[in-house]
Order: sequence, then C-alpha cells, then structure tokens
Amino acid sequence: MLAFFIARRLLLLVPTLLGVLLITFLISHIVPGDAAQLIAGPRATPEIIQRIRQEYGLDKPLHIQFAIYLGQVLRGDLGKSIRTRRPVGADIRAFFPATFELTTTAMLLAVLLGIPLGVISAVYRDRLPDHLSRVFSVIGVSMPIFWLGLLLLFLFYIRLGILPGPGRISGDPPAHITGLYLFDSLLTGNWRALGDAALHLVLPSFTLAFAVLARITRMTRSSMLEALAQDYVRTARAKGLHERWVVVRHGLRNALIPTLTVIGLSYGELLGGAVATELIFAWPGMTHYVVGSMTSLDFPAVMGVTLVIAIIYITVNLLVDITYALVDPRIRY
Amino acid sequence: MHWWIRGYATRGSEWRRALGRLWRSRLALVGLAIVVALVVVAVFAPWIAPYSPTKINLRERLKPPSVAHPFGTDDAGRDILSRVIYGSRVTLRICVLVVGLTLGIGTLLGLISGYFGGWVDEVLMRVSDVFLAFPALILAMAIAAALGPSLENAIVAMVAIWWPRYARVTRGQVLSIREIDFVAAARAAGASSTRIMLRHILPNCISPVVVQATLDLGEVVLTAATLSFIGFGAQPPTPEWGAMVSVGRNFLRDYWWYTTFPGLAILITVMGFNLLGDAVRDILDPRLRRGP
Amino acid sequence: MRRLSGVLCWVLVLGAMAWAGEDVLVMGVTAEPETLDPHVTVDNNSWRAIYYCYDRLVEYEGGTTKLRPGLAQSWEISEDGLTYTFHLRQGITFIDGTPFNAEAVRFNFERLFAIGKGPAGTFEFIKSVEVIDEYTIKFVLDAPFAPALSAFATDQGCIVSPGVMEHEVDGDWGQDWLSEHTAGTGPFYAAEWIHGMRLVLKRNEGYWGEPAKLAQVELRYVPEPEDLRMLLEKGEIDIAEKLTVDQIQSLKGVPGIRVFEAPSFQCHYIYLNCQRPYLNDVRVRRAISYAIDYQGIVDYIWQGTAVRMEGPVPIGFAEHIPVYQYPYDPERAKALLEEAGYDKGFTLRIMHSPVVPEWRQMAIVVQQNLAEIGIDVEVESYAWPTLRAKLDQGDFDMSFGYWTPDYADADMFTWFWFYSENWGLPGNRAWYKNEVMDDLVTAERVEINPEERQRLFEGIQWLAVSDAPYVYLVQAKYQLPMREWVKGYVYNPMLLNMPNFSGIYIEK
Repeated sequence: MLAFFIARRLLLLVPTLLGVLLITFLISHIVPGDAAQLIAGPRATPEIIQRIRQEYGLDKPLHIQFAIYLGQVLRGDLGKSIRTRRPVGADIRAFFPATFELTTTAMLLAVLLGIPLGVISAVYRDRLPDHLSRVFSVIGVSMPIFWLGLLLLFLFYIRLGILPGPGRISGDPPAHITGLYLFDSLLTGNWRALGDAALHLVLPSFTLAFAVLARITRMTRSSMLEALAQDYVRTARAKGLHERWVVVRHGLRNALIPTLTVIGLSYGELLGGAVATELIFAWPGMTHYVVGSMTSLDFPAVMGVTLVIAIIYITVNLLVDITYALVDPRIRY
Repeated sequence: MHWWIRGYATRGSEWRRALGRLWRSRLALVGLAIVVALVVVAVFAPWIAPYSPTKINLRERLKPPSVAHPFGTDDAGRDILSRVIYGSRVTLRICVLVVGLTLGIGTLLGLISGYFGGWVDEVLMRVSDVFLAFPALILAMAIAAALGPSLENAIVAMVAIWWPRYARVTRGQVLSIREIDFVAAARAAGASSTRIMLRHILPNCISPVVVQATLDLGEVVLTAATLSFIGFGAQPPTPEWGAMVSVGRNFLRDYWWYTTFPGLAILITVMGFNLLGDAVRDILDPRLRRGP
Repeated sequence: MRRLSGVLCWVLVLGAMAWAGEDVLVMGVTAEPETLDPHVTVDNNSWRAIYYCYDRLVEYEGGTTKLRPGLAQSWEISEDGLTYTFHLRQGITFIDGTPFNAEAVRFNFERLFAIGKGPAGTFEFIKSVEVIDEYTIKFVLDAPFAPALSAFATDQGCIVSPGVMEHEVDGDWGQDWLSEHTAGTGPFYAAEWIHGMRLVLKRNEGYWGEPAKLAQVELRYVPEPEDLRMLLEKGEIDIAEKLTVDQIQSLKGVPGIRVFEAPSFQCHYIYLNCQRPYLNDVRVRRAISYAIDYQGIVDYIWQGTAVRMEGPVPIGFAEHIPVYQYPYDPERAKALLEEAGYDKGFTLRIMHSPVVPEWRQMAIVVQQNLAEIGIDVEVESYAWPTLRAKLDQGDFDMSFGYWTPDYADADMFTWFWFYSENWGLPGNRAWYKNEVMDDLVTAERVEINPEERQRLFEGIQWLAVSDAPYVYLVQAKYQLPMREWVKGYVYNPMLLNMPNFSGIYIEK
C-alpha cells in the first residue's frame, strides 16, 4: 500500500519536474536577451558570438533548444558558469555543503527549541510562560531575517564580543572530505577547527531558525491544546496517571503530526531565508553564490542553482508526505 | 491543501458577528491599530514628514537622533524619520499591487479551473504545482534578476510566484459549491457559464480568498523588503525600508540608527498584518480557531 | 549566562592563538579575481592576487616609479628608440620546473597577442619579438614610445611558464587552466582557491631571489566592507581593503590599527556616453559638468581624503597643467540645456557598482544635482563584471568609473581615454570621438622631443575639458587600514591595490 502511494507521488512529480525545468529554461535562455553575447563576454567579435550561438544551439528554434537543454540536464550537465568559468555542477558541489550545514543546524535548532517551547506554552496555557511564548511567536514570524541578523551581529559580535562574526571559520578549514566543517573536523580530529566552525554557526543558524522556530512553537502549542482536550487524554488523567506522563505519552505524540507538516513546509522557507542569512554573515554558501550569479547575469549558474534548490525542496516535501503517511494511521493512501 | 477551503457560506449576520469578535480580541485590535496607523501615515505622509525623503543635505550627514531629526540622518544627510514615513507609501503600494494582482489573476484562474474541470483544471493545477515547487524567494529573485533590478520587476516577480495560492483556494471553494442547489438551478434556468461564475459562484468564494489575502500581506511586505535588501527591488532614491537597511549595513558599527528604524518599521508593519490576518481567519473560519 | 560567555571567550582565545601564525598574512578583500591569467585580465583584483606569483623583465624599484632589473639583468635601448634588447638572468626555473629563457619570453608575447584581450593593448607598440640567443631577446617597436620600458613592469608584463601549454584545451592557450592556477617564477604561487571564500598564496621555496618572509598569504573574500572592518578591528584579518571613507575615518585612532595614507593617482569620473541621445550634444555634457557640486562631494563624501580633479591628467604628473575648472553653477547649466533645446528636461541612467561604496553616495548627490537642472537620473547598481561588460559594449548613458595608472606617463590618461579606437574597456569609456583629438593623442605617442610632446599634452587637456566627455570628480588618497603588526609594507602608486607581499612580514 505504502509503496503504491510513494510510486504514485513519484509519478505525479514528473510533470512538475518538467515544468520546473521549463521555468529555469525560460529564465536562463530567453529573459536576459542575447545569451550568446553574455557567454562570449566583452569584446567578442561577431564571429565568436556566431560560433557560440551555434555551439550552444542558440540559433535553433526554442523547442529544440529546450530539448537540448533537457538532454544536458538529464546527463547531469548544468553548463558552465560565465562568472567563475567553471562547470556549474562543480560550483554547486563546492558551495552546497556550507548551505546544507547552515540550514540543517537551523532546522535542528528550531525543532529542538520549538517543540519544548510549544509544549510548555500549552501546559501553562494562559499563564506567563504561555504569554511570553505567544508574543515570541508573533514577533518571530514577523521578523525580517536580514534585520535580525544585523541585530545579533551588532550585539553579540561588536558590542559583547562573545561570538564570532562573519565567515564560516577563522583559520584554515579542516581537510576537505564532505565540505561540512563540523563533520570533517570531527573525522580528522581537528578540534581547533571544530570549535571554531561550531561557534561561527551559532549566530547565522539562530538567525535563520528564528521564524521557523516561532512557527513550530505555535503549531506545537495549538496541536498540544487540541490533543490535551481529547477524550483519551482526559481518560488518562482520570486514571490518575502522572501529569508529565500524560503530556508526553498522549499529548505530544499526537501533537507532533501537524508539527511535522510545518517542519516540511518550513524547509523551503529556510532555503529562502538562507539568502539573507548568508549575505549578512558572509557565509560562502549556495544562495550567496546564486545572488552573485544573478547580479552578474550569470544565467547558467542561476538556472543550475534554482533547479537544484527546487529539487531539494520537492524531495523534502515528498519525504514529509511519506513520513506523514507512516506516522498518521488515519491517512489512507 | 489548505484546511479551510471546504464549504461555508457567508451571510450578513455572520459578518456582523465577526466584527463583534474582532472587537473583543485584543491582539487583533493591536493589529488593526497598526494597519490603520500605516494607512494614515502613508496617506498623510507629506503633512506628517518633517522633511523631504529625498532631499540631501551633506552638511547634516550621519547625525544621531535629535529633536530636529528624531531618527537621525543617513549618509546623504536625509532625515531617516521622513524616509521611514514615506517608506510606508512604497510598502502599501507594493501590498496593494501584489495582493490585488495575485488576487485577480489567481481567483480568475481558480474559478475557471474549478468550474470547467477536466483538462483545463488539470493543466492549470499542474502549472500551479510547478510554481509551488520552488521556494518562493528563490524564484522571485531569479525572475527579478532576469527582468532587471527595479521595484516594478520585483512586483511582477512576486505576482508570478503568488497567484497559485489564490487559484487553489478559489478552485477548492468552487468545487465545493458547484453542485449546490442554487447553482444547479441557475444552470437549469439556462444561465450562461460566465453569468453563473460571476453572479453565483464568485460571491461565495470571496471570504476564503480574503482570509488568504490578509494572511499573505505580512509575507508580501517581508518578501518585498528582502528583495530590496538583496538589491533586486527598490533603487535609490526610493525610500524603501529593506533598501535602507541594506545601505545602512555599512554603517552598522558606528551609526546604529541607520538600520534600526527602517528595520523596526518592517517588523511592526508585518506584525500588524499578521495579527490582523490571524484575527480575520479566526473570524471568517469558525472551524479552526487557533490563536497565536 | 556570564559563565557561558566566559567559556566562549576562552574557546575563542585558544582558537585565536592556534591559528594566528606569525608568517601568515590574511588580507580581507571585497571582490574576487576574475581570473588568474595575466594575459587575460586587466582587473585590479586579479592583479593583486597574481602580481607576486610572477616576475617581470623589469620591476618598479620599491615605492618609486624607477625601474630596476627583474628577470632581465640588463637592457639596451637603441638610439632611435626602436629596439629594446634584454639580457636575461640565467638558471631560473618556473614553479612547474620549466627553465626560464628567451624562448619562454617570446612565448609569452605570442600568447598575449594570440589571446588578444585587454592586456595585449599595453604592448600594442611592439612590432616584433626576436630571440637572439638563449638568454637574449629583442623587441622591435613600430615607433618610438616613451613609456615602453615601464610597460614591461606592469602586471601585463608577467612572464608565464610555457608549461601552461600542457594544459591547453581546444586551442585556448591554457586559459582554462591558468584562470585557476599560476605558473610563474615569482616569490609566491597560488596554492588553493576556494571560490567565494579564499585564495591562498604559498611561498615559492625555490625562489631565485630573496625569499618572501611570509609563508602564506590568504586573500579572504568578505563581500561587505562593514564585515571586513569588524574583522580587522577584532584582529582576525591583518589588512582590509576597499573600506568606505566613513569606516576608515572611524578606524583612525583605534589602538592596534594603522591607516596607511598617501596621495595617489586613483581618479574617479563620470563617463558620459557620447554616442547616446542628449549626451552626444556637447552643450548637455558641459551642462552636466556645471551642475555638479564638487566641493560638497570632496568635503562630505570623501571627507577631505580626496581633492577635486583638475582636468584629465592628475595632479602630480609632470604633464599636468591647470585647465579650465567647471564651477558649480546650476544656472549656467540650465541655460546651456535651454540653448540645446532640452529645457523640458529628460531622463538619463547612471551606473555604479557596490565595489566602490562612495559611488553610491556620489550617485545620490549627482542625482539631486542633475534634478535641479531638469535631468531625471535613474541610478542602477551592477556587479563589477556586469558594469565592465556594459562599459565595453557602450550599453549605458552615464557611469561612474575609476582609473589608476600602470606607469607614470600622461599617456595613461590621454591616449587610452580619448583615442576613438579605444572605445570601451581599453580606456575610452565615454565612447568619445573627435578627429582633432585622435590626431593629438596619436602624435603624442610618437613624439620624441619632450617640449613638443608637452605642448601636445596641453592641447589634449584643453580640448578634453572643452568637449567634456568625462566629468572629472576627484583624485582620492590611497588609504589602506592594517594592523600595526604588519611591517614592511611599501606603497607604490603604480601598483595600487597590490601590496608588496614579498616584503611584508608580521611582528606581533
């Protein structure tokens, strides 16, 4: 049954992915005007531009160009960046680990802080902790990430000086294995780099986590309230079970299901939020790279990164749906 | 799929009761007050602002907050208070345009999709799937960058990523009432499709769309500010809050007021819209009342 | 909370002690190199990274514009100024093991001209290159050219190993490979380039000359000047480049930080695209020159760290003469526009780039100044490479720009700027053409008599101001903030943005 559900979901992805490719194709091939001119760069002679036009198939009708493009992408060829003169795939591999490390840490932070906060808020309903956490969630979802980042940078780096500021690491990065500094420094036993990288992660990951944290708190609170009001919880209470046990065993378990959805949906938000976070903290990640590509009209790179981000986003949402199906017995596939 | 798209109808008395509920919720009132204040400030900006938002005065550059300049001045000697006040106009304009356009386009497509069903529906929904498959900000950035950095293009980009939400809401609503008696009756009486859609179905789709719109306003403000912060939105000398924070960034260390006030303006505005949006949703959708 | 921050502090301090090696220099930069290939790039950010990975036939002597032997031990210039013969040093090998000899030098000029990008322009005066024997090479010029010898000391004169041809792909002369690597004889070599993060230069342990004191130079890419400035204040980086005037002003007097300051030939302009409507009318260009509040810009944006430019040739050049200075006179500007028939006003766009933060500030002033005479200005911000591409294609109305000379001859500020065959990036960024001017600048290049040449330069300067294809804004001081523990820094106005990594050392 589950396998069937997954297969159906995967099948439904095919038209979506084709559409995603079409959009990235439109963005990178049509909108910026003469792509051949862009690829050729300054001072290219008309002959060179003509040669590039042929080489890249830009002289062919659009649907043929799209077919060529599809073929390239399916072979894993994302083209060559105009700005860095390297294959876009290589650039993405170089910049992705930084973004992955940042968004994953932020997500962990949001989940690990958000769920307890939500539970506390629900248990102490309409008392001080609840009021505080509700005010926090209102501010959290309204906060411009870039401004929060600046505030934290100002406070903890400039004024108090207790946390490191811009950048991923101060000294030499650990030997490259995965590109994830925490992981790599653990593997190589480079404790200096581990501490350094971990501290550098604190401000950016908290900045990025803030809005999602607020959302998770809010969702956990309301689903906890709902769960705690259910009959079986009341029964459990009536049976004289310890309050904390009731909350955890019966309330939280059921409250987690809607929270899970929020987590999945929030991943896209984290990828978007990473843009401002990486800019503020000089974080050498993929979204930082793509902003640079966008401002220098490096459309092969823009297309590649947008495509990769969309695929990540789709995959995460698919995983959430599947988990959801696994966790919630009420779902019928 | 959204949880509130399934059916309910709105009648006059319900609206009145809703307003009563709005009045009783304190947070919603705060939200309403903020939004009203924003509109008042935007409308009366020329009378409220002490200075012109674009007039430079190099002799007064980077002055800390004082009686003459309560929010200080920026690096061209412009009064930051006046720029923040005029910024409300830019923000409101973005809100009205983005929400208005997405609402129009999305509702229309949703209506068509839901009413006709079949392959029309299939195609439109697959297209909206595609747009929803990107993180909103990333796609908006890519479109804005491709079109060239300007406020108008940022608005176009935001409309492009936002319409599917309204299309889906409207479609769901249409599906739920398409077969209801009065529609069937109208159809039997020989009314044209257009007439049925506009006269009978559309009015019954309004309230979930309004809920979605009020919930979205805060996000629209945030997205627009972020686009401007990154450099794909408002260009100088437009007093846009996100752009002001972006420039003020290079003055963070010594001139704290430069980024503080525009940032605060974004936070408060978005909060106002969010509080109001939550309240409107609670009121119009009695099924699910989840407070913040 | 206090306990926690105490712990954090300790971790930081320990960390700091662990990484702050004494022979490592970290320089924070706001822009990455375009490419590392000296035969391709004319970008200061690239030059900074590669200048000390290569040697040149002749070198600038310390902080002066005098020349000293480099890879060439000695040289002779013929009486008529048409042949330059260099005697090369022997026993030098490139970092890739290829021996250095006359053939290697010849290969460089072959590659330079075959690629034919910006750097080739510097050596346009060369007619032929001849290998005399293994360590002697002769250059023949089309016509005598006064600053020819200096040209060999510029970054464009870097001598690349012929070994790059082993990395050639599709007849690209190894461009693909050399854009990421270096292959020179210099005191350093590029060891690692993590795009978007850092470029590491390591000491060339087999260097033929005096070895560098630093074992490693890290060019750390931090795009925002404010971040750089904070990192410098905290001592995480040793030198910070491209900070804003405001940031530098507040760094002065911070303990542990020294702001190096010297007059420079870094000149800032507005290029007026003479091929565009409105701007093709000299009256409009003059009106713009009259409309700008120069004093306000110097006093408040540059805060006294710049002076107003007095015409095309900067103050400090022997050829500079005091020419007509457009006063700030909006009335006169309006009258000129009216005379040109544009009294109803019109709209122009102006480009700038965040790479020079003062441009944005000046753009706001210019926008307002021009609004006062009825010209609406739309300000557009572009990334550095995009701005350069647009300049090169003439796809702009007005643009901010700056220029620093590679050699101390007014030719740098005249022939490149006004000759109509140099449209675009080679130098004539205003896309300006005046046949009289073309004659003057070509004549200046071949004139041997110094007095006659000076007269030509005077004519050029007057004509340039009269035709007003450029708005001459300011000549800025060079300011480089660094930690006090950075020693041995020598400033050379010809090598702006290229600190002498080979001489710098750290003394904590």
